[in-house]
Amino acid sequence: MMKKLQQIGYPLFFIVMALLPAVLNSRWLAVATTFVIFTIVALSQDVVLGKAGMFNMGQAMFFGLGAYTSAILNAHFGWPLLATLPLAILIPAIFGILLAGPIIHLRGDYLLVATIGFNIVFVQALQNNLGGLTGGPNGIFGLQMLSIPGMGSFQDFTPYYSALIVLLFTLFILRNLDNSKAGRALQYLREDDLAAGSIGINTRIYKIYSFALGAGIAGMAGTIYANQYSAVSPEAFDFIQSVLFFTIVIVGGSSVPGIIIGVFVMFVLPEIFRDFSTWRYFIFGFAMIFTMILRPRGIWPAKFGRIPKAFIKKG
Amino acid sequence: MDTFLQQLVNGLTIGSMFALIALGYTMVYGVMKLINFAHGDLVAGSAFVGLFAFSQLLGGKTSVFVVVGVFLITIVIISLLGLVLERLAYRPLRTAPRLSAVVSALGASMVIQNGIMLLWGPQMHIFPELIPSVIWNVGGIVISLMQVLIMVLSTVLMAGLYFFIEKTKVGTAIRASAIDQDAARLMGINVDTIIATIFLIGSALGAVGGVFIGLYYRGITFNMGWQYGLYAFVAAIIGGIGNIPGAMLGGILLGLFNAFIAGYVSSTWANAFTFILLIVILIVRPTGILGERVAEKV
Amino acid sequence: MDGKVLILKNVTKRFGGLVAVDNLSLHVKEGQIYGLIGPNGAGKTTAFNCITGIHACEEGSITWGGEEIRSLPPHKIVQRGIVRTFQTIRLFSQMSVAENVMSGRHIKSNQNLWHGIFHTPASRKDENDNWKAVFDLLDFFDLEKYAVHTVGALAYGIQRRVEMARAMAIDPSLLILDEPAAGLNDKETLALVETIYRIREKGVTVLLIEHDMDLVMEVTEYLTVINFGGKIAEGTPDEIQKNPAVIEAYLGSEDDDF
Repeated sequence: MMKKLQQIGYPLFFIVMALLPAVLNSRWLAVATTFVIFTIVALSQDVVLGKAGMFNMGQAMFFGLGAYTSAILNAHFGWPLLATLPLAILIPAIFGILLAGPIIHLRGDYLLVATIGFNIVFVQALQNNLGGLTGGPNGIFGLQMLSIPGMGSFQDFTPYYSALIVLLFTLFILRNLDNSKAGRALQYLREDDLAAGSIGINTRIYKIYSFALGAGIAGMAGTIYANQYSAVSPEAFDFIQSVLFFTIVIVGGSSVPGIIIGVFVMFVLPEIFRDFSTWRYFIFGFAMIFTMILRPRGIWPAKFGRIPKAFIKKG
Repeated sequence: MDTFLQQLVNGLTIGSMFALIALGYTMVYGVMKLINFAHGDLVAGSAFVGLFAFSQLLGGKTSVFVVVGVFLITIVIISLLGLVLERLAYRPLRTAPRLSAVVSALGASMVIQNGIMLLWGPQMHIFPELIPSVIWNVGGIVISLMQVLIMVLSTVLMAGLYFFIEKTKVGTAIRASAIDQDAARLMGINVDTIIATIFLIGSALGAVGGVFIGLYYRGITFNMGWQYGLYAFVAAIIGGIGNIPGAMLGGILLGLFNAFIAGYVSSTWANAFTFILLIVILIVRPTGILGERVAEKV
Repeated sequence: MDGKVLILKNVTKRFGGLVAVDNLSLHVKEGQIYGLIGPNGAGKTTAFNCITGIHACEEGSITWGGEEIRSLPPHKIVQRGIVRTFQTIRLFSQMSVAENVMSGRHIKSNQNLWHGIFHTPASRKDENDNWKAVFDLLDFFDLEKYAVHTVGALAYGIQRRVEMARAMAIDPSLLILDEPAAGLNDKETLALVETIYRIREKGVTVLLIEHDMDLVMEVTEYLTVINFGGKIAEGTPDEIQKNPAVIEAYLGSEDDDF
């Protein structure tokens, strides 16, 4: 039944997502676009937190690094947004390697606090208009948005569809990760770091790898996010946002359906209940507590047994 | 030299507040290995409860009795809230994976923070001026009665806590539970009670800290918990997380560091410098100044 | 070619004031089945931890095939062909048996970090080859029917086999077994003896810690006995059985299954 769900689930999801702009007004289209973008970031968070098991609460920083890289190149140097994409992936990835290096050996809670620390330093640097480039507390705006030629009157949908394409690409990459030596190594070192080392895995390299990969994907999402609002500002990337992405992975569970559910629950639901705005987060907090008590591994946890079908002969 | 001493006074004052709040974090972490993310919000709540106690319960006019009353009422209410927090959000997750407890803590933080907002609204409130504005000028340095009060009271409380932890039976049980919960249980210590006690004491101290924040900074908002909470947590780590004298030391040091950065470098970078300091400490000496290194048996 | 010989010379490991391994020397020849025995707490596992890089021993030297390996981290020791199992089984308990054995193929795989992002025909072939090796091993250890089962849910005896299969997946030259018979019943212990012989037939040297004396006397060719971290005797099983110092150390508990 699970296999069937998987076979139908993904195509169905994408068909629904592709058709959404036809039925949503502009406010809900914006929500849907951000939903897609946050799903990408949450998936990137999952690489570090879910797969590699590292307590990372600073993913918003890499998200912001990508967004600001694109914004700065576009606004200050006139690069078209699409051309900024490679650097928006590379620069966060490099930061991922540089920052993870000195802290990767730290025990869980210490690592958590260190990543929060990096995030806070990052945001303050943005707010203080570092190098005259980052634009201060108001950020950078007036970015030239991506335009897909030939869209004509559907140009308004470009932010949404660009996000969807990037999501598709992200899922493709993550699928490759799962079926690779590197992807498995992350799972092993998360389950038992000592055992992983004792069978030959250089856990340090793979932990840094997970940070870099997660950072690169988040950076990619950053460009699309900058595109959505044709602006970037510091509070979109502060550590409270990191807390959101962290929570999405744990509450939703370390699986693609889990992450999608997580983003929906943590981001879309509050939007739906905006009318009950004063009460929504209060109720939310309780929901988080109860979800953890009832489903400590998340709503849709990771499943193992990913073995190529060709090798499983007997049922 | 004047600025130095002035910043010293400011730093010690802020540091005392950080220390009181940091103790709550460190006590919980020492026994449960859990970062109580909701602690900062309890502290924020304390300021509001203090405000409520003053204006609604004690008549709105200050006097020594009223001041004592504000502290006592706040301590009682917040300590009870701390107990409820432990019972509801943490105890059910004792055996769950660590990350689940973290998210539960974050959820609790959200509940408390938004609870404050529901009760008092999102706008900033002004904490009443309970302490008369008396200022002394000692050789060019300005010290207020408020600062003296904060420093003296904090010192008394911390000394009391130190005595309690080192010299009493309950204190010893707390230290034992922090080293090895299972062994403590086998020695007949009721760890559940100990944990409840820790939350009670930590919240009480945090309550005092919260009232101090109200008195000192005057402007209070429902979401200020995270800022003070995070700083206090940094203080706890600097001193050595899980180590009670460490939290006191860390709080004072962080207060001084903060004051000097704000005074000599720049206040817009104060946050960044504080967290860079944190990261450096985590890399160079993660167990903090007074913390001990624990070996792990394979 | 350098003989794959493991030599410990005056190895000492201290934990603060406690001397866990005291001036230990031993010489394991290629293709031997060598035993390290001694009462509980004698320091056997600590000695293994020193060899496999989990602890750094303060004094002495550990050479493997002529190379000094004393200060290498665990994953580098594995790269040189030394693989160990654990006294408490350290499998990846939430994952399937096949995935656990596949973890042993990690250093045998040619993929690099980029293949985690984009596959190539070469990486696909590498995946295929390694899964095939995994299933060959499952066959060798009679585990094929458990391939997709979650390892943590399986019986203890089966988990032990999975751990050995994982160790063999790495294609070791020296296999270090830490109490492989612990928790096994008589039938399973007999099967273990068979398995150790089959492994040796593949050209693997075996070094083991064990308390089950029947197993030790049956399967090992040479023994070192330690107590309080230091060597008290060495010799063939027959010699050791008659050694008065050994008998005294084990006083009253010759047949210790735990």
